[in-house]
Amino acid sequence: MNTRVSPASSRWTLGQAALVAARLFLGAAFLYLGAVKALDPVDFLKQIHAYEILRAPGLVNLTAVTLPWIEMLCGLLLILGVALRGAALVTLLLLLVFTSAVAHRGAALAAAGRVPLCVIKFDCGCGSGEVFVCHKLAENSVLIGLALLPLGWPDQRLRLRRPRRARKGGPASPE
Amino acid sequence: MKTLRQTLGEAVGIAVAGALLGLAANALSPRGLRLTRNYFPDVGPVAPAAPAGAEPDTSVSSPSAPAAAPRAAAPPETASSASPADALRLIGFAEALALYQDPRREADLIVFVDARKADAYQAGHIPGSYRFDHYHPEEGIAEVLPLCQAADMVVVYCNGGDCEDSRLTAHTLHELGVPREHLRVYEGGFAEWRARGAPVETGPRLSGRMTSPSRP
Repeated sequence: MNTRVSPASSRWTLGQAALVAARLFLGAAFLYLGAVKALDPVDFLKQIHAYEILRAPGLVNLTAVTLPWIEMLCGLLLILGVALRGAALVTLLLLLVFTSAVAHRGAALAAAGRVPLCVIKFDCGCGSGEVFVCHKLAENSVLIGLALLPLGWPDQRLRLRRPRRARKGGPASPE
Repeated sequence: MKTLRQTLGEAVGIAVAGALLGLAANALSPRGLRLTRNYFPDVGPVAPAAPAGAEPDTSVSSPSAPAAAPRAAAPPETASSASPADALRLIGFAEALALYQDPRREADLIVFVDARKADAYQAGHIPGSYRFDHYHPEEGIAEVLPLCQAADMVVVYCNGGDCEDSRLTAHTLHELGVPREHLRVYEGGFAEWRARGAPVETGPRLSGRMTSPSRP
């Protein structure tokens, strides 16, 4: 079993450092935001209800109970670098759903109040309290970009569990 | 193709594992949600609050207040003439304040119920109000429910604004046996109460720690 890494390959390029930083930031963000929701499931339940997307009570309850833990698990796996692509894919899908929901509700509130979208501020249930819709959409766009990175370039640095080929001394990427 | 299959497999595994973790945590947590309960039931018809300046209606229909019964049966025209008789009555600041100042409150014949979270209640509440959580009715039900059932009137409030917890709590209390005609929902809620300079108590109920200079 060859797990030694040559001195040359142990040097970090700027790109690798940026990929690792992006992964750790995204993971930490999901871990934190998921924990905020998991610690107050009633608050998250109310926020889901406010979106009026899910109608069946059982589905609303199930979402409030499970979604924060899926987020936290994704965040943890992104930080540890385990099942990286799968975690990045789930994170990306969650972000796309969250962003669509925030945009939809923001647009509805803006239409109801006949005001521009960017002056609308509400608690989006994202775990960050009251936010301006446009700020949240911009923030989510950045996170979506960060979630795409591990899918395209699953870096091999700072990972608890590397893909099999990388452990055997094969090419670093793709996974 | 193999990478795609592996990625999808990982994603499904993560979603399932996360969901199972969430369900397990919910089952173990004393503040977990009941998965089959409808937390947002239809509260039925709602009668709007009387406009500002209208005389507050603090009357109740109750065996302990027989003289007041006719007024309760026919609420002010301005407030609910177009609403069904069993509508949940909303009240404004003037009516809430009148009920707060009513001597019957001291004898728990008028009960104020705070439908907000425990930390919000601790930070400040209408003096003497009881906390009752619609989402966790098992907490405090033994103390609050008998009082509400025996009271001439029960005033429920939350934060005001978009907050619907007061209506939901009033609905829950009604389902638990409090007559609907005894229930009032203070629409402006605690935000309006504090903004209007009315007395506020902090900490536990009857702590005596008031943040407003005097009783209005």
